[in-house]
Amino acid sequence: MTATAQITVPAGSSPPAPPRAGRPRRAGFGERTVPYLLLAPAVITMLVLLGWPAIQVVGISFRKLDLGELVRGEVVWVGLDNYVSVLSDPEVWTITLRTVLFTVACVVGTVLAGLLIAVLMRHLSSKVRIALQVCLVLAWATPILATTTVFQWIFDQQYGILNKTLVKLGFESFAGFSWFSSGASTLTVIGLLIVWQAVPFVCFTIYAGLLAAPRELYEAASIDGASGWQTFATVSWPAIRSLVTLATFLSVIWDFKVFAQVWAIRQGGPDGESTTLPVVLYLKGIAQRHFGVASAIAVLMIIVLLALTARYLQLLLRSREADVS
Amino acid sequence: MVGAAAIALATAGCAGSGGTDNSGDEAKAGEPRTLTVWLMNGSAPQTLTDSLNKEFEKKHDGVTVKYEVQEWNGIQDKLTTALGSQEPPDVIELGNTQAPSFASEKVLTDLSGDVDKLNGDQWLDSLKASGEWDGKQYSTPFYAANREVIYRTDMFEQAGITAPPTSRDEWLDAITKLKAKFGKDKQFQPLYLPGQNWYALLSFIYDEGGDIAKKDGNDFTATVNSDEAKAGLEFYKQLVDASGTTAPKDNDEQNPEQAGIYGQGKVAMMIALPWEVDTAAKDHPDIKEKTSAFPIPSKNAGETAPVFQGGSNLAIPLNSKNADLAKEYLALMLSSKYQAQFAQAGMVPGASTDLSALDANPVSKAMAEASKNGKSVPATPKWATIEAGQNPLKDMLTAYLTGAKSIDAATDDANKALDAAFSGS
Repeated sequence: MTATAQITVPAGSSPPAPPRAGRPRRAGFGERTVPYLLLAPAVITMLVLLGWPAIQVVGISFRKLDLGELVRGEVVWVGLDNYVSVLSDPEVWTITLRTVLFTVACVVGTVLAGLLIAVLMRHLSSKVRIALQVCLVLAWATPILATTTVFQWIFDQQYGILNKTLVKLGFESFAGFSWFSSGASTLTVIGLLIVWQAVPFVCFTIYAGLLAAPRELYEAASIDGASGWQTFATVSWPAIRSLVTLATFLSVIWDFKVFAQVWAIRQGGPDGESTTLPVVLYLKGIAQRHFGVASAIAVLMIIVLLALTARYLQLLLRSREADVS
Repeated sequence: MVGAAAIALATAGCAGSGGTDNSGDEAKAGEPRTLTVWLMNGSAPQTLTDSLNKEFEKKHDGVTVKYEVQEWNGIQDKLTTALGSQEPPDVIELGNTQAPSFASEKVLTDLSGDVDKLNGDQWLDSLKASGEWDGKQYSTPFYAANREVIYRTDMFEQAGITAPPTSRDEWLDAITKLKAKFGKDKQFQPLYLPGQNWYALLSFIYDEGGDIAKKDGNDFTATVNSDEAKAGLEFYKQLVDASGTTAPKDNDEQNPEQAGIYGQGKVAMMIALPWEVDTAAKDHPDIKEKTSAFPIPSKNAGETAPVFQGGSNLAIPLNSKNADLAKEYLALMLSSKYQAQFAQAGMVPGASTDLSALDANPVSKAMAEASKNGKSVPATPKWATIEAGQNPLKDMLTAYLTGAKSIDAATDDANKALDAAFSGS
């Protein structure tokens, strides 16, 4: 999927724990249960707020649950009907493919931009770097819909600053150019918007990794006459590799289910060409109140997401085993 | 996945609810009872509801009216959860395009037997139709509103236009005259018309004798690729071209808000709802006295074009424990006494043919004049998808106006998309 998927070293593998002084005495019952008691509130909260709704969604996906059933309190099991109706709709397959491609494009854009800016930050003087960091934090802290509105103004057909600037630069054909009249250009604008909002997090994460790389290694590399690219490949990259993997897969999860920006820009239009799976979910569930069908789509989304992040989950599990052994 | 979790929470919260047998629950007359009424923000002036509730409480001993004003934003979700609860409101207001989706799910009380009691012979046809499903009446008309042409009297005067246009030709003529008089100002627009004002398009299509769909029982088939619909779309383009409007072709009248642009004083006309004048006047108070309105002109001189009628219906949720009282409440609200008060407040009353109260203000007068010839969108629950935002008519307008598609391709695509929406699950 992306270049980072080829990593074979477990992400986040921790250094071996320091040897303890002597074998601890056998812990008493109370001591052994305390950690679990301390964890309990968080675990219970997560089970109630995340686990239970997730189970409900799976259950509802096998039921016919429209407004009528909801109001009358009926439970109507329909087996796989919801899945059949979703999967037999060719439009859903197009939208799934579109959503996956859109996610990949957003993630690649986000991680590459974040990586470049992070590497750049290491080379900047402290004043410029702080200015850049403040800008990144501001871009990050602006509410999603506020940024979305600003983007809509930038790309406005008549009054948008982008078209006006392009015309001033000599590209006369952009006078009154409509950025939202085809699905491809609408998705490009939405993609830019998502990348814009996602870059700061990725950038700071990777930058933190770069800071952890020992300064002496860079000095050694420069004494050995390493080029910039060689220094990056041999010194920086090992320090940030696991963080880049982490950022990539977190981005996959976030970008795959992004809804607010897609909906706010053009409600999945024109002609439904910027419709992604979360938009379908909204239309079926909230707009048409077919909660059963919407739940089936939600389950399918989880499956696609699991497939997309399978590699990362595999790495996670493997690193767990490594810790245990 | 947040959406999915929300659905699960909403439905989990209602598990086991509903389906209660309310026949035994109805309290005897005289015992204290509470009637919960939900009306939407901006629907009824408070003075009106205050006196209405007072009169109702006086008539019905021991009854308290719990009157609550709801916001349009998010109302669909709120109604979904409220209707599923044990104690739903007893009287609710529904947008007329939302009403069929509630009726088809059979979550509203059947009012077919009470039409006469509810002032039925005075009902507005288009709103009556949106309350019907499967031959039964599930909601009653409340009030309606429709678009008209709002214009600047001072600009018309200066351009030498003596009377408001009463035909399409006169309308186009007025645009030419306004352009000749004020055209030197690059920012001036004789008519502000964004590419996706599909309400205006509906009016032009109706005027050509067309419609966007044909009804057959509970089913609808799209007809936007008919010759009449194409002629309506052509006229829309003619207006856009003639006026040279700089409004975005890929957006609607709310983005950017057209009233705000009208308020800036460089626009002579817009196709809008009466209260958009107040929106414009918020920032530019002096514009109100220079503003009047005329009904959207027809292609037949002297007639007004049929209009898309927006509005609200009133209904009683199926789980209401006070359905008998709620019917009484509806009867009072739809009585000529209170309907006249709605007209005075500037709305087209849903259950009164007496519109004289609207004549006092020229802006409401134009609306009242056109309202006699109003139509609503197809009364199908499937309209919800379109209402939610994926409107093929908007896509069709943008595609044709920007030249991305020919008129045949644009209308055929929209027809296909509408049919898919009508038949979709």
